[in-house]
Amino acid sequence: MADLRDQTLSFRLRREWPAYVYLLPTTLVLLFLNAYPVAYTIYISTTDFGTGGKGSLLSYHYIGLSNYVYALTTGLSTTTALIENSFFWAAGSVALFLLIGLGLATVLNQEIRGKTVYRTIILLPWAMPAFITILIWANMWGYSYGIINGVLNSVGIRSVDWLQHTDTAWAALFITNVWLSFPFYTVVFVATMQAIPRDLYEAASIDGASGFSQFFRITLPYLRPTIVFVGLMGFLFTFNNFYPIYLITSGGPGISTQIFITESYNQAFGSLGATPAFSTAALYSVIDFVIIITITVVVIWRTDLTRNWLK
Amino acid sequence: MRARRGRKWVRLGKRIASHVVLIVACAFALFPIYFIVITSFSTLPVASITAQVLIPKMSQLSLASYHAILYSQSPSFVSLLGNSVIFAGSAALIGLLLAAFTGFALSKFNFPGRRTFVYFILLISLFPSFVLILPFYLEFAKLGLIDSYLGLIIPYSAGAVVFSGILVKNYMDSIPDDIEEAALVDGLSRTQAFFRVLLPLCYPVLGLAAFLAFVGPYTDYALAHVFLTSSDKWTLALGLYNVANTDTGQSNYGLVTAFAIVMSIPIVAFYMAFQRYIIGGLTLGAVRG
Repeated sequence: MADLRDQTLSFRLRREWPAYVYLLPTTLVLLFLNAYPVAYTIYISTTDFGTGGKGSLLSYHYIGLSNYVYALTTGLSTTTALIENSFFWAAGSVALFLLIGLGLATVLNQEIRGKTVYRTIILLPWAMPAFITILIWANMWGYSYGIINGVLNSVGIRSVDWLQHTDTAWAALFITNVWLSFPFYTVVFVATMQAIPRDLYEAASIDGASGFSQFFRITLPYLRPTIVFVGLMGFLFTFNNFYPIYLITSGGPGISTQIFITESYNQAFGSLGATPAFSTAALYSVIDFVIIITITVVVIWRTDLTRNWLK
Repeated sequence: MRARRGRKWVRLGKRIASHVVLIVACAFALFPIYFIVITSFSTLPVASITAQVLIPKMSQLSLASYHAILYSQSPSFVSLLGNSVIFAGSAALIGLLLAAFTGFALSKFNFPGRRTFVYFILLISLFPSFVLILPFYLEFAKLGLIDSYLGLIIPYSAGAVVFSGILVKNYMDSIPDDIEEAALVDGLSRTQAFFRVLLPLCYPVLGLAAFLAFVGPYTDYALAHVFLTSSDKWTLALGLYNVANTDTGQSNYGLVTAFAIVMSIPIVAFYMAFQRYIIGGLTLGAVRG
């Protein structure tokens, strides 16, 4: 109904007003369950809620930007570690997703026997609820009773204390995360590749282009919008992907694999009995949100990602 | 002649390499699943979890873990399942209604402020949901909604609303306006046309929206862990976490894996049955083909 665009506002309102009625429930839900809590979190980050040491948890005060100043001075090493870890976690994971997804999709996109069987098996990890499989993986990485060390032992390799060293803890996290996500990326890329017109490749073959240069000259440019889209979504999702870190390493050893979201949760609800540091939790939430928003705005501004949502 | 034979060998080598890559990928994908399945039927004691658990003898297989999960857990499996269905089912129902209304308004109306609204909901949805647990907790504690059914159903309902709304919008975009206009010519109001003509055409995407709204709460641990203090309201996710993390540092793998399988089956079945559709939906129409 794009032809209505030229008509006057009052005409459009008279005809289109029911839309507001239909949007009312969702708007209310979003205002009360998203917008208000976000504003409330920002407010808590400017108080000494849980960190004031005033005795009672419920007496807290507005302290301006003191928490932010703290995060940039005394607490700077923690803040820096959280920023580095969050970016390393998200960017590293997405790089692996894209590389492995593209590689497998290229292989799967050929005429090859057993394609359907391969595809179905590769999709299985993605169909399992992530919370459940992450919990299982957390047990699999265990030192004494984990099956991964069990398998290593059976081929004569000594047990690795995966979660007690920073490098192996990251390795465990990335391997688990790849397992969780590579099916989705592979299938999305296969679907996009199948939409590339065959005759482009035929013409390239006739001109003598090798498979390698066909991939870089035809496949990759064609996939670019998809790569940007799933890459951004994957980054935003992984940046705040709570369960792998929370369930497998709990941010350890120390805080060497801790990201904003898990540190925030730990500060607020981490140890039973200890005073919950709600203001610190809120502070990390707000920093996290600002980073996410900035990245999204820049990417949407530099690309045409939203065209499908706004047309 | 020789060149042609050479090319044939290259092609064969390529094909073998492709199969090797795919077999490795499949082995990686299957290993944890195989481990879960085989361990759930195993009678081996926990301390002897070595690679031998992966290649069991027939005599070492039993249904004991399943029996234990279903009949001798506290809180009982039935209670956990019932609570999960109450929480996730309510969230799915409310989420479905919200998504249907939102999708309809965004797809079939050209109201002033439409663009602003889409940007607003996208911005809102970027705020990481785990971060909302803190304000929810503080607010709901004031309202006395902690450890109540309502207190958890409310935040769960909002979980998938933006995503599902856009999902429904994209689907409705593909339904020609003529269908709605024909209904209007037949004398139906716009609301009647929506409920009687448009919605029935959207059953597939509405099913998907309801499913996605169900899966989130069904597998939520972070929010439920904070909100539910009494174990008679615990969900399957809390029950599974509890079985998997015993204080002794060694979990009973048989129980954990049997629990994981029983809890996963409905979700896996749905995903595998509707995989094409779900993948299309999850990429929000950004991937064509």
